[in-house]
Amino acid sequence: MKSESAVTTRENQPLLVDWLGQVDYPESLRLQADAVEACGQPAGRDRLILLEHPPVITLGRGSHKENVLASPDELARRRVEIHEVARGGDVTYHAPGQLVGYLIVDLDRRSERDVHVFLRRVESGLIRALAELDLEAVRVPGKTGVFMKRAVAGPSLDYKIASIGVGVRRWITFHGFALNVTLDLSGFDLIVPCGLDGVQMTSVSRELNSFQEGLGSRARGAVERAMVSEFA
Amino acid sequence: MPISVELPSLGESVVEGTVSRWLVAEGDTVTVDQPLVEVTTDKVDAEIPSPSAGVILSLQAQEGDVVQVGAVLAQIDTEARGSAPPPEKKPEAVASLVGETAAPSPAPEVVKSDLAEPRATPVARRMAEEARLPLERIEGSGSGGRITKQDVLRHAVEAEPSRPPAVMEEQPKASQGSVKNTPAYARYTLQSGDRVVPMSPVRRVIAEHMVYSKHTSPHVGTVAEIDMSAVDQLRRSHKQAFKETHGFSLTYLPFIAHAVVKALREFPALNASVLEDAIVEKRAIHIGLAAETDRGLVVPVVRNADRFSLTGLAAEIEDLVERARSRRLSADDLSGGTFTISNPGRQGNLYGFAIINQPQVGILRVGEIKKRAVVLSSGGQDSIAIRPMMYAALSYDHRAVDGAPANAFLYRVRELLEAAEIEI
Repeated sequence: MKSESAVTTRENQPLLVDWLGQVDYPESLRLQADAVEACGQPAGRDRLILLEHPPVITLGRGSHKENVLASPDELARRRVEIHEVARGGDVTYHAPGQLVGYLIVDLDRRSERDVHVFLRRVESGLIRALAELDLEAVRVPGKTGVFMKRAVAGPSLDYKIASIGVGVRRWITFHGFALNVTLDLSGFDLIVPCGLDGVQMTSVSRELNSFQEGLGSRARGAVERAMVSEFA
Repeated sequence: MPISVELPSLGESVVEGTVSRWLVAEGDTVTVDQPLVEVTTDKVDAEIPSPSAGVILSLQAQEGDVVQVGAVLAQIDTEARGSAPPPEKKPEAVASLVGETAAPSPAPEVVKSDLAEPRATPVARRMAEEARLPLERIEGSGSGGRITKQDVLRHAVEAEPSRPPAVMEEQPKASQGSVKNTPAYARYTLQSGDRVVPMSPVRRVIAEHMVYSKHTSPHVGTVAEIDMSAVDQLRRSHKQAFKETHGFSLTYLPFIAHAVVKALREFPALNASVLEDAIVEKRAIHIGLAAETDRGLVVPVVRNADRFSLTGLAAEIEDLVERARSRRLSADDLSGGTFTISNPGRQGNLYGFAIINQPQVGILRVGEIKKRAVVLSSGGQDSIAIRPMMYAALSYDHRAVDGAPANAFLYRVRELLEAAEIEI
């Protein structure tokens, strides 16, 4: 871990929450692997690991480097790293200002062996957290993630505010969600042309139309409370 | 005795999953709980563990297959486990194992696999055979360097770029019931002799963007017929000197771009984007120029195109085209366009409507310039003349622009080109 930061853990909660500050992507993969291992032990606990990544593009199994539009020089100039990750799905982008939450939850122990129910719970938690920030986020049927709805000259468009991607190993989940809080959305242009997948990105600060002091920690607090109550 | 590994239920509403990656190959020795395969379902990647120790007899689904819950993914011979070495063992070790197991048990299929050959998935092996590509020359990217279907496809395309990709015949799979290979809508069934060319990543990006744009913007088209005589004369009279001074030829495109830029300044409604419930008219004019390269369609952008003279515009375009061909375009060169000109040009292209390059609201597609007989009216007298004519087709987003301003814009482009009062 690069940054020194306050670690908050509350022993009486079923979901242990840690805030690790900024963590390099490879380091976070090791953290998760360890956490999954520990969670599977008889006295294991479910955890939510909250952190931010330095600018990084991650490529899942299904994605191709060609989907990264920016040249290597460009990426170097912007100090964006690229990592290939053992997960499914497409190219994603993380950067400071985006709250990343890794959920290590033993679905078997909770007698809830249902990955869809788990995805919906993560969405519920995020929607509740956003409500605390006065934002009315929604689910979009058929799409995983959390969205903001906006009317655009008649039909409404979905703006994605949080992405979700989960891995399951022996019914223990890993990976989790990425909530755009204050990050510069232009970073998403590095990977796919604007709106390519039919979904535009938005962030908490953009939706509130302001860049408030302390928005990051407010969002973190809201997410922590919402997830603890969702996974109580 | 052989047992089946089925796709377990991953949740009540999960009825199927996509096989994203095999972690083992036929002939591999596995331990209990060892992950066998990764299955993706709606943003969840689940590892399916082995229910028992043994040797993988067969994989019953290919990477990319959609598999129903309860369908058989693999067959495992559980009796082979006694002499099983750890799964990390190299292919040579597996060979000796196969030798040992072959004697006591009725020889399972694994025995006949060519273990001297590089490891490959069954699909990859079959495709390579059919395309007559030697496996030894293909680099494997799967676990333990295993050659996958993607590796074979990549090799087929990369190895001989001058030749069309090797013929890949994917036989229509015998209906297995368990493996769902057909989406809800009708899908083409491969016939013998068909050539399957996998989409390149660039092709997929283009495909997705086109679908997105058509889905997002109600496209309306309008066409103008433009007399290019004045431009033609201007171009001819400067052609020689221009080439000598600047080192490249003066084409028609800078003239068209120059007129479009000027018209956009007068009709900002076409230099706009729809943003949420508003229309944003942009001050900057960045012109995208759709160009076909050997890598596929790219749209490099001339930034602040209104700040250039015709010669400056020509030089910018020349530079972008050159860099597009030599693949030296940066992400900045390809982003931020506010209006696009498509010039598929050459022969036989009368006119056609392009798809809007999102999030812009208009795209102008020009046809070939061709001499036609036209009726000219002058001083109340009509006459027939031979003129170089060009059709220009504007596609616009009817969310943002109505017919009258769109036509007025296009008419202005025509006026500017027909007058060709431009300094070179």
